[in-house]
Amino acid sequence: MLRVEGLTVRADSLELVHEVSFAIAPGERVGLIGESGSGKSLTALSLMGLLPEGVTASGTATMGGNDLVGVPESRLKRLRGQDVSMVFQEPMTALNPLMRIGAQVAEVMTLHGTPRARAREKALDLLERVRLPEPAQIARAYPHQLSGGQRQRVMLAIALANEPSLLICDEPTTALDVTVQKQMLELIAEVAPALLFITHDLAVVASVCERVLVMYGGRVVESGPIREVFTRPRHRYTEGLLAASRLTPRGTRLPTIKGSVPPAGQFPGGCVFRNRCPHATAECETVPALTGDGHAHACWHPAD
Amino acid sequence: MRGRMNAGLLVGGVLVGLVVLAAAVSFFWTPHDPTLVDAARKLRQPGGGYLLGADKFGRDTFSQIMVGARTTLYVGIVAVGIAAVIGTPLGMIAGMTPRGWLSELIMRVNDLVFAFPALLLAVMLGAVYGPGTLTAMIAIGVATVPAFARVARAATLQVMVTDYILAARAAGRRRPAIAMRHVLPNIGSVLIVQASVSFAIAILAEAALSFLGFGTRPPTPSWGRMLQESQELLFSTPRLALWPGLAIALAVLGFNLLGDGLRDYLDPKLRRVRAES
Amino acid sequence: MTLYLVKRLAVLVASTAVAGVAVFAFMALLPGDPAEVALGVNATPDAVAALRKQFGTDRPPVVQFFDWFGGLLHGDFGTSYVTSSPIGPQISDRLGVTAVLVLGGMLVALVIAVPLGTFAAVHHRNPLGAAISALSQVGIAIPAFLAGILLVFVFAVQAQALPSGGYVPIVEDPAQWLLSLLLPWLSLGLVQGAVLTRYVRSAVLDVMREDYLRTARAKGRGSTGALWRHGLRNASIPVVTVLGLQLATLLIGAVVVERVFVIPGLGDLLLNGVAGRDLLLVQGVVMVLVAAVLLINFVVDVAYRVLDPRLR
Repeated sequence: MLRVEGLTVRADSLELVHEVSFAIAPGERVGLIGESGSGKSLTALSLMGLLPEGVTASGTATMGGNDLVGVPESRLKRLRGQDVSMVFQEPMTALNPLMRIGAQVAEVMTLHGTPRARAREKALDLLERVRLPEPAQIARAYPHQLSGGQRQRVMLAIALANEPSLLICDEPTTALDVTVQKQMLELIAEVAPALLFITHDLAVVASVCERVLVMYGGRVVESGPIREVFTRPRHRYTEGLLAASRLTPRGTRLPTIKGSVPPAGQFPGGCVFRNRCPHATAECETVPALTGDGHAHACWHPAD
Repeated sequence: MRGRMNAGLLVGGVLVGLVVLAAAVSFFWTPHDPTLVDAARKLRQPGGGYLLGADKFGRDTFSQIMVGARTTLYVGIVAVGIAAVIGTPLGMIAGMTPRGWLSELIMRVNDLVFAFPALLLAVMLGAVYGPGTLTAMIAIGVATVPAFARVARAATLQVMVTDYILAARAAGRRRPAIAMRHVLPNIGSVLIVQASVSFAIAILAEAALSFLGFGTRPPTPSWGRMLQESQELLFSTPRLALWPGLAIALAVLGFNLLGDGLRDYLDPKLRRVRAES
Repeated sequence: MTLYLVKRLAVLVASTAVAGVAVFAFMALLPGDPAEVALGVNATPDAVAALRKQFGTDRPPVVQFFDWFGGLLHGDFGTSYVTSSPIGPQISDRLGVTAVLVLGGMLVALVIAVPLGTFAAVHHRNPLGAAISALSQVGIAIPAFLAGILLVFVFAVQAQALPSGGYVPIVEDPAQWLLSLLLPWLSLGLVQGAVLTRYVRSAVLDVMREDYLRTARAKGRGSTGALWRHGLRNASIPVVTVLGLQLATLLIGAVVVERVFVIPGLGDLLLNGVAGRDLLLVQGVVMVLVAAVLLINFVVDVAYRVLDPRLR
């Protein structure tokens, strides 16, 4: 359903995302994990045509026959909120402080052809669907009267209003309390159609997604079914990530990946991870291709 | 101080520098005596020793502009000085005791004074004590106090919630000491920027006052009064309005650009703090 | 909200009263006795005393203040010591003129600033937007009276198209009335427009960076549509607050512009009053101007709260 090929994102001459390719089948839940600076947010934003000023995307991304990249705003805006929608990381600033909640939810529907009155009715239904108590009251409220968790649910309601084929979530629970996080994740797991879930939290992605893509340095370094990738990681970066997130027995040191993520533009040539990888050799100076069906990895010296 | 040189700072600095230069040089030398009335030279065209010509009394325009720069700077310095010296402590007090009755009082009085524009104060003061440079300076100064007080208060409020202030208070430092050693140096940059902006406003106010006849008395040259004198001859000798007008505009532009440039140079984040907030 | 209104109204009333005291006290500082001035140097002490009694200036200052302020509250501004004509009608005659001048100037300023400022913000990265920004910097460096003189030079002297001064009441000749106000409106409006442009640009720029604009686009709006529907209302809040400030500045600018164009407004009245040492007249006019500023501030404060639900 969603097919991305060779997606590259640039800011001036700096390459931030390099030749990313993946696909999402209808109804499939795919996670995109990586640290800050891995390019995961930019990948998602380029699918919506919402890249910030000065940042451009090239390559192809098609969904249901529609091109998403390299398409003028006038075409793209018809797809946003209708066929593909997004929930962002920061709920506190995502809503217009001067508009009532109900109107903001209704807006996404009226923009795509739903008559006003019908949109308002549906808005109430949606608020209920995302498990907000007293939907009528909430609809009349202003954003500053709601908590972060509530606002994020509203964002989810807006995203789902027109029943899109794909829902993109960019760290939707990172800014929320742990208890609220759990509820939110359950909700997303329940209501989402096809899902592209972006996060840096391995536990979170494991609870929601079936398949996962691991990104580092603007590239996909490993991909595959979650169970497999998490129990038998092949790429050394994934291996390091998993080791660092596992609870270790007393008395042993917490395993870490040596070094730190380089700033954009300062990643090594060849394998993008080689300056931090304990298994790197001269071979790694050539870029490894993503190999393997199902469970793929881009590494000359994969684990096990 | 961090930051890079920028266009505003450069251009503003040059313009202000020109004004200061003109004023400074005028103490030692001007092409002619600007107050010397010479009927023979009446309305003389530019040329000869008269770079910009002479006015209807035969006074040399160029010399008048130079000496006028003195008035302009003089008024600006005193007015901004008054405003800063009175307004800053008031604003700091209001900022350091935000919920106190003193702070409320200060801000209410502040708003009241704000309602008396500089021109009005100067006219009133002029009516009582007679118009002149001194009354103009004091009136403009007093009218500018609210701007300084507001800016000082807003900046102080921002500084008070920082950790090092909390640390100082936890260490038992008394308020006045905290004010002098911690708050003042940190709000300094905002105040400098405000000073530059207020200087520009003071120049405009003085020009307006002189234009109305409430500013500098003759024979001391003043750009505003030169403009007023030029009005009746606008049809025949428009150049009489051109030079003082240009001088005023460039001086004001200079101080405004300098203020903006200083703001960008000292700390771009300061753009938030304004007198209107 | 109602509680706030009441409180704010109380502040308005209190401020006006305090302003009244300040103005009165100030004018009381004026050297010279109005009665002596009116009768001249050769007046007998008895005549002076009698005139004082008639003026009411023999009473203690506090009594005089309450008498004056009380009179103000129902429109009685007293009678001039100098011209012996009632002050109230003089003020009300000219109030309309000044009000029209100021409001027209404000309108011109808005018409210039809103489109230009928005344009400058949307195009802040390209040379055109930067040019507008630079132009506005130049605009604020020009005092209103200088703009007035420049405009007179261009339109009245060179082009001979518009009058260089004078005022025609609307009831006499509407066309001439309009013509006589055109240049004054422009003088006020162009300068204020430059100031306002910078504020509009800054407000729109701030809004452009807000997340909720991105949300709007994610819903399916184009960038222009998002700015229109969501951005402008949010941007108008800081602009409205500045508008209030600007109105007060305009009021004062009008004083000067009235001089340039010889328009019989409040400013003109004030300056004449000061020149003629007409104490009571000056008191009255200053009071009206200050009260107007305080009222404008009140309206702006309330409007600000009405526009922004977060403040209620």
